[in-house]
Amino acid sequence: MTARIVVTGMGLVTALGTSVGETWERLVRGERGLAEVTLFDTEGYRSRVGGQVRGALAEDGVGEPSWSRTTAMALTAAREAARDAGLDLNARRARPGREMRAGLVVGGTVGGMFETEDLLARFHAEPGAREVLSRMLSHPLTATGDRLERELGPFARVRTLSSACSGGANALIVGATWLALGLVDLVLAGASDALCRLTWSGFNALGALDPEPCRPFDARRRGLSLGEGAGFVVLENDEHARARGALPIADLAGWAMGSEAYHVTNPEPTGAVPARLLDEALARAGLRAADVGYVNAHGTGTPLNDPMEARALRAALGDGLPGVLVSSSKGQLGHTLGAAGAIEAIVASLAIARGIVPPTGGLETPDAECALRHVLGRGEPHEVRVAVSSSFGFGGMDAVLVLTAPGHAPPPRETNARAVVVTGSARLGATLPAARMPELPDGELDLARARRLSRASRVATALAARALRTASRAPALPRARTGVVLGSAFGSVDGSSAFMHRLFQKGPRLVSPAEFPNLVPSATVGHASIYLEQRGPALAVADLAASGEAAIAQGLELVQAGLADQIVAGAVEEASDIVERVLVALFAGGGATAARSEGAGVLVLEDEETARACGTTILARVAAHATARGESVTVPAPRDPSRARVVAAYVDARLAAALLGTGWEGVPRVAVGPAAGDHEALGAISACVGVELVAGGQVDDVLVLCADAQRAYALVLVRP
Amino acid sequence: MDLRSEIKALIVSELNLAGLDPSSIGDDAPLFGEGGLGLDSLDALELAMSLEERFGVRVPEGEEARSVFRSVAALADFVEHARGARTVGK
Repeated sequence: MTARIVVTGMGLVTALGTSVGETWERLVRGERGLAEVTLFDTEGYRSRVGGQVRGALAEDGVGEPSWSRTTAMALTAAREAARDAGLDLNARRARPGREMRAGLVVGGTVGGMFETEDLLARFHAEPGAREVLSRMLSHPLTATGDRLERELGPFARVRTLSSACSGGANALIVGATWLALGLVDLVLAGASDALCRLTWSGFNALGALDPEPCRPFDARRRGLSLGEGAGFVVLENDEHARARGALPIADLAGWAMGSEAYHVTNPEPTGAVPARLLDEALARAGLRAADVGYVNAHGTGTPLNDPMEARALRAALGDGLPGVLVSSSKGQLGHTLGAAGAIEAIVASLAIARGIVPPTGGLETPDAECALRHVLGRGEPHEVRVAVSSSFGFGGMDAVLVLTAPGHAPPPRETNARAVVVTGSARLGATLPAARMPELPDGELDLARARRLSRASRVATALAARALRTASRAPALPRARTGVVLGSAFGSVDGSSAFMHRLFQKGPRLVSPAEFPNLVPSATVGHASIYLEQRGPALAVADLAASGEAAIAQGLELVQAGLADQIVAGAVEEASDIVERVLVALFAGGGATAARSEGAGVLVLEDEETARACGTTILARVAAHATARGESVTVPAPRDPSRARVVAAYVDARLAAALLGTGWEGVPRVAVGPAAGDHEALGAISACVGVELVAGGQVDDVLVLCADAQRAYALVLVRP
Repeated sequence: MDLRSEIKALIVSELNLAGLDPSSIGDDAPLFGEGGLGLDSLDALELAMSLEERFGVRVPEGEEARSVFRSVAALADFVEHARGARTVGK
């Protein structure tokens, strides 16, 4: 596809308002939404101020177990974006078969944490409490996406992702990638994160909270102020927008994501990776550094971030930097974590559309180390043709977006989906009834370097290292072109439970600052990228039982679209006392399955051309990949059914029904679940088994299939 | 166990320095940066929290922390002094 990607709708929920209009008016007036937080008690913390959302949120469905503050904000912003884009979602639903292929991408970090954290703390003390169990269900990371799908769907593709504080920007990048690959006609993409005690305590323990409302780039800055909110946009190809009479607000012309591979909480001080990403994003847009008029900075207000960011901008924008207006919205909205990238992309779009650059709230005396053309006090009228939005997250996961006035950038280059091959595979299965993964052998990881890694992170990193042993290596493959995507359905539930219990027992001064970054859903990916020195894209994704499949799908898309040449993709799912009890309670009476076990599996996905150029042994070729929601997927039939296999978690009636009438109907079936246990990484292990079958030479074609009632993923692997 | 040994054991266990023998940490060896244990600012925060929990002392932040976190000996002196001050204050 060669079409431009345009923003045709936007929706915002912030501390300054529950709409784009309200937030924007107050932003440019220089108002600050940072005030004493009332959602929970902040006594005993460094800071009592934050960007709490005060306005009314979408209320339908309140009281349902999957409803959370994060979801309410997301739904409010997503509805506004759809309305703004002139999308009549109900009409779309009323005409099945004629509807456009719409996608949904949701980013975020905390999900339903605010609603479950007291339960998590209680669970730690009394693990059998029924009330606790029944209310814990809002915890899956997909809860917000599932809710949006139900309210605003149907969607042909849905993705829930996290990359800590760059998740909002990455949600827009994934949406743009789907459009560029021609997978959908339109995307609703954005992110949402509510304030909660877990993040408040974590940033407090890290000493990162400014006791006063934060002051990005100011010489007296002492840290960040947390905030909450949601931002959603409607993205589509300009031809599609024109055909339905929708007016573009701005173009999403360029994007780049990558990893610093440096430190879990501290930014790499030179800003080399953010600078490289800005270069890459401008190159993708066909623009030069001199074209940039405004940068909406990450600008958290921490002592380390702001000068690093100034250095990155100096490196990327060079002599033109003094002419570029720079501001951070976090002095007015707070740091909304996973939502920030989406919210700030909207702010940057508005600067273009309205011709006003909003200020940096709280900035009075710029730090000499942050010598930039700041906007002080209130918005500055300024014609902006090209705006940049930067987002940096825990684990060094960074993203940069380039937005332009409609039609301003040269027409984009064509994106042809590149062929993808598998060059590595590793899995660690638990066999029932032991149900636990074997311990990693001594020496598999350098324990001094891996000392901050949780058990799940160690398993994922060790497996990735094993799989990478056969894959293409540097120098033929630059580290910036390698990345990692891992799926996890629930994140670190047991770790969060222990953290919250400690908070409630011992108070905010005695929670562990080093443990906190391990509790964000992207911790495992961040740690793996640091350990393995993967400096390309790093993402955590979730799709309940199909979280492994979602990770492989995400990895494939990144390689197909050219955002990376090599991605380690898979899933690690740890046994969890809490998850098991909740699932048993949920399925009790409904023919509950055996106790949940644990396991992990990863593939190395590579651009075929790169692998061939590196002379790497190709284990399998990805012949087809398809995903669908609530309907069946179609993939090409095997060449010789007698030399083919279908690999699935379980061989059961549902699988038979999914294969009925397809070329795969009579193909022998392999069930992975009975040997690998029952857990959400099963799809990744199934893919590994499929690769082994093809690489072993017994078969030519393998279909790895997950088809449950809501979600379907199909991967066809063939002999190279 | 004397205070310095106790702090060394705490450093190894709380910062997950698996494989490191606590007694091999020199009393005056630098804890941070190259040439010492190679700890970083996140370790300092974790260690401060652990010292507060174990010994009931509030570790200073910022510039003041720099000298306290110089070595095990400096940490032990600080803890001893802070505990003494607290006892006197009772």
